[in-house]
Amino acid sequence: MADLGRLSLVTCLLLLIYAVAGGSFAAWKRKRRLAQSAQNALIASFGVTIIAAVVLMSALARHDFSFQYVADHTSRELPLRYSLTAFWGGQEGSLLLWLLVLCGYAAAAVLTTRRVARDLLAWTVPVLAFVGTFFAFMLVFVSSPFATQRALADGAGLTPSLQNPYMAIHPPMLYLGYVGLTVPFAFAMGALLSRRTDERWIVATRRWTLAAWAFLGVGQLLGAHWAYVEIGWGGFYAWDPVENAALMPWLAATAYLHSVMIQEKRGMLRVWNMVLVTLAFCLSIFGTFLTRSGVVQSIHSFSQSPLGGWFLGFICILVAGSILLIVARLPLLRSKTRLESLVSREATFLYNNLLLVALALTILWGVVYPILSEAVTGQAATVSKPYYNFFLHTFGVPLLLLMGIGPLVAWRRASLRALGRTFLWPLGAAVVAGIALLAAGAGSSRIGVIAYTFSVFVLASIVLEFVRGTVARRALGGVGWAGAFSSLIARNRRRYGGYVVHASVVLLAIGVTGASAYETVRESRLKPGQSMSVAGDRLVFRGYQARTESNHRAIRALVDVYRGDKYLGRYRPGKNQYFAEDEVSNEVAIRHDPLTGGDLFMIADQVNTNGSIDLKVLQKPLVNLLWLAGLVFVGGSLIALWPDAREERRLAARYADAAVRI
Amino acid sequence: MARRGSPARLVVALSVAAVLAVFLLYTSIAGGGTPVVRPSQLDGHHGRVSLMGQVVGKPSGDAHAGGKRFRLRDVKGTTTVTVVYKGTVPDLFQPGRDIVVDGRLRNGVFVAVPNTLVTKCPSKYAPKR
Repeated sequence: MADLGRLSLVTCLLLLIYAVAGGSFAAWKRKRRLAQSAQNALIASFGVTIIAAVVLMSALARHDFSFQYVADHTSRELPLRYSLTAFWGGQEGSLLLWLLVLCGYAAAAVLTTRRVARDLLAWTVPVLAFVGTFFAFMLVFVSSPFATQRALADGAGLTPSLQNPYMAIHPPMLYLGYVGLTVPFAFAMGALLSRRTDERWIVATRRWTLAAWAFLGVGQLLGAHWAYVEIGWGGFYAWDPVENAALMPWLAATAYLHSVMIQEKRGMLRVWNMVLVTLAFCLSIFGTFLTRSGVVQSIHSFSQSPLGGWFLGFICILVAGSILLIVARLPLLRSKTRLESLVSREATFLYNNLLLVALALTILWGVVYPILSEAVTGQAATVSKPYYNFFLHTFGVPLLLLMGIGPLVAWRRASLRALGRTFLWPLGAAVVAGIALLAAGAGSSRIGVIAYTFSVFVLASIVLEFVRGTVARRALGGVGWAGAFSSLIARNRRRYGGYVVHASVVLLAIGVTGASAYETVRESRLKPGQSMSVAGDRLVFRGYQARTESNHRAIRALVDVYRGDKYLGRYRPGKNQYFAEDEVSNEVAIRHDPLTGGDLFMIADQVNTNGSIDLKVLQKPLVNLLWLAGLVFVGGSLIALWPDAREERRLAARYADAAVRI
Repeated sequence: MARRGSPARLVVALSVAAVLAVFLLYTSIAGGGTPVVRPSQLDGHHGRVSLMGQVVGKPSGDAHAGGKRFRLRDVKGTTTVTVVYKGTVPDLFQPGRDIVVDGRLRNGVFVAVPNTLVTKCPSKYAPKR
């Protein structure tokens, strides 16, 4: 079986090399049949990668310990579901998943655009295949998941923190996001190489970008929830380099999604969009370099591996190639129009872009600071949470405000009088909310009050947009309020889907602010029968309970929670001792309060031999809005992504128009 | 005819300048980062540092009472230092693991800042063969 896997990967590599070489020659010499052949090779590479993936999956399911990878990441007692998710639990499997997703995206992009944008695709195929070739090369020559050995009696098992249902969904989502950014990058480079720098490459990749961006966003939220419920430290984001590795390309992609609208509407920012799409893609590859190279300290600890140098070389080629190409095509990228006023929709989008990119770059600076400081001074130094929080507040809070301003400002030029009328209600709501917050005692955190006041302003402006749109649609006649509302969204899916995503970001901001700025933490050593109080709740420790499962022994503290005299329930924080892995994992207990959206988060910090417990309890107000934000984010993204026949017709007309102009 | 300056360029230039100003302000107020050192590099560092190394020997004491004591060795070396730590101990903390902890050297003992102990995950990614 391992031979079949190896053969599939070698075939994939050859197909991709052919797609690069044949596709480039075909595009250069305008050989239509050869170009089609290169496209077919790219599609076929997806087929053979599926075979390789099935071989590895089957070996994991059968516990075939003659596969080194299977022996390193599973054990006989590991439940089947975790044996299967171990596919991406290790380095070689992760690379295979990357290649699988990349070839899948490439095949889908070719199949959906080969009829409508054949000329654009000519150079896009070699670029997609070039990225794929790198990963196939790594899998064949540097880090193969099909290395074999004499079959062992049992495997090393899977790290306990990875034995979690989120393991099935969080990494694949992130990969769908990371890898998905290859498609817009390849189309952008394809457009530059073929000198077809009109808006078609943006139109052709809009959905791909949106999908990759949505996957990356959802993947990060799932990771945050996983850390929250499983890792057991009471937080959801630690500014760890590996977490930052996913956030940076997402921020760059967010900036890109906004700035392409300006290019589509006004023909501006054409160079900027090329830079942004390149930045987003290079940051996604840089994230992989960070995680594989081990050059930066991370709690995700990726041992020093030989992949780092390869990835660094690949990034250098990508960055140098992209910059050279953009510079060479500058004359073709001149803007058709200019920014007419600093108070206009496009200007607010530009401010939003600069803040997003500034945030991404300051995070990047923090991530590479240890490497740079060591190179310059000979002594590595790190920046920590205060550094990141400072820049999150400096750039994030104005970004929040802009989210409320941007959609209400007119394109091209807006008068101050019109702005006053437009913002009367959102401003009024924000002022009332700010006063109410201060009266309620929320002034203990200045940044908390500012974030909440701005959140109310943004939510009010979003609601105002929906109300105005619905009223205008109803005024056309023939429909009731519900009909007007649904037709408003159906006819402007991208715009109103975007507003829903904005609402999700507001919920996220409220959740993060509540859980960090207004958090209460208490720690206490308790003997059975003793109690502690946290933010109005009383917790009584009743003793321990232990049980043995197939691959671990579980010990649980019994904690009864009361509010006043009212009994709220029994909760069981504790620890699991895993046999094969010889590791302990924290198992937290969380009491969700559906009325307030807050959590009572209980950690059995230390289980003592004398029967006492060191109990750590965190009261996190509004934290559940963060997870609700994830659902709203998915909803908004789906609305924006949903196929729209009218829009398809508009795009078809634009393709035809652009082709004529060329 | 001379080309008129674009407001977009002005916005970009002002924004870049503002970002740099904020950055310089931050670094001048907050100073640089925390130095990351190995046990063999501790001499000469009197301020707060991030100490990185491998736990050797059996830890003793109580992290929630008098403090947990353990020895930390250079990951690739033999120099060790005694660490005293109070606060939450990560699940993965045990002899043989690489850790990072903040603190400062006092009379030959590294006194850690409470709740700063981070254990490097034994990794989903296999060590170099």
